[in-house]
Amino acid sequence: MSENVTVRIPTALRPQVGDQESLDVAGGTVGEVLRSMNTQYPDFGKRLYKSENEINRFINIYVNDEDIRFMENLQTPLKPGDEVSIVPAIAGG
Amino acid sequence: MGQDLERYHRQMLLPGFGEAGQRRLMDAKILVVGCGALGTVIANMLARAGVGHLVIVDRDFIEITNLQRQVLFDERDVAEGIPKAEAAKRKIAGINSQVTVEAIVDDVNHTNIEKLATQLPGVGRVDLIMDGVDNFETRYLANDVAVKHGIPYIYGGAVGTVGASYAVLPHTVAPGETGETPWEKVGRATPCLRCIFEQAPPPGVNPTCDTAGVIGPAVSIVANYQVAEALKILTGNLETVSPTMLNFDLWSNIFKQFKVARAYDVGECECCKKRNFEFLDGKFGSSTTTLCGRNAVQLSQKSNGQKLDFDEIAKRLQAHGKVTANKFMLRADITDNGEPYELTLFNDGRAIVKGTKHANVAKSIYAKYVGA
Repeated sequence: MSENVTVRIPTALRPQVGDQESLDVAGGTVGEVLRSMNTQYPDFGKRLYKSENEINRFINIYVNDEDIRFMENLQTPLKPGDEVSIVPAIAGG
Repeated sequence: MGQDLERYHRQMLLPGFGEAGQRRLMDAKILVVGCGALGTVIANMLARAGVGHLVIVDRDFIEITNLQRQVLFDERDVAEGIPKAEAAKRKIAGINSQVTVEAIVDDVNHTNIEKLATQLPGVGRVDLIMDGVDNFETRYLANDVAVKHGIPYIYGGAVGTVGASYAVLPHTVAPGETGETPWEKVGRATPCLRCIFEQAPPPGVNPTCDTAGVIGPAVSIVANYQVAEALKILTGNLETVSPTMLNFDLWSNIFKQFKVARAYDVGECECCKKRNFEFLDGKFGSSTTTLCGRNAVQLSQKSNGQKLDFDEIAKRLQAHGKVTANKFMLRADITDNGEPYELTLFNDGRAIVKGTKHANVAKSIYAKYVGA
């Protein structure tokens, strides 16, 4: 199994990561993974973060099927093979 | 089996449904907020299932671009230019004459939603609120009413090829107490929409169906999932209501059920935990002013202070007409249903929609092309 985790990118943020649906990223916590993505794709970070250590509150982040807000937030530990889903509120209808 | 029940035979065969479940459906009153892509599928399926009373509220008229996904409408409705709620009522009369439909052509806002859900003449308090809307402001209003009055509310949202849905069985009392609703008595209350998404996306951040597109299957799947959850609730099968949020992307072949139950226990929700109904009280959301003599309406957003991303909005609107922007404002020409509008956006989210004197039309243009 890869040492990395898979990060699922929502449609709205794909243009900021070169139109990729998912990325394999190394990192021991959710925060580390997102910081590493932010370094490579600064526009992605601008959309995701409200401030340096706070995710916009209309975007949820899940590790596998659990919301990080109810684990250890950006410090939530990750193990290889975990799936991190970035899930914005869907407004259309 | 009485003749009035024969048409429901196939669903009454299901375990946990039966004649008793069908009778409960026939006694039920449901508020369908919004009758576009989600709302038409919801109203259609609920009417076929035999829900006794549907209150359908929508502010819009039918356009040719709706027909690709809004299943209750046809070309004749477009030619006649009738409101969506009225067209839905007309169609349902031919689908199931046992169903009573109240069609209300109006904008749903903080001044009228409580009345629609609890005091409509001849209807009174509804048993369920179905989300067929295209913006988060109205969703939070529906969520506020649901929590305040202890009415189940089923969220649905879809854009592009993605969709999400989630059933709120609201907490009606402070944490630690047990409320009197059937779902609280059996320990099945769920977090509210604001527990899950604490804030609405600021205007212009999220794609809308009118800027990013949408395929019919995405909305149909969401709406039918909402209806399935509604049938479980209305027939009293509360233990089968999903405690997770459905989230899918048909183009990426991803279906997820995210766990959300802890959002109530751990979170500090203003709405269902602190019982502070900020949208219903008019603290958040938009207000409109008709600008005299200018054939224009101003929309003011009470937002969280975030500035609009004009570059992103300009990119999306270019497919609809000429767009110009500077640091302070963005101006776009938009043709909607054959009518020309000029949309001026300020970076705090305020907007002026030129080409109409009607607040409903201006709010619709804003929700469709900017998103809220």
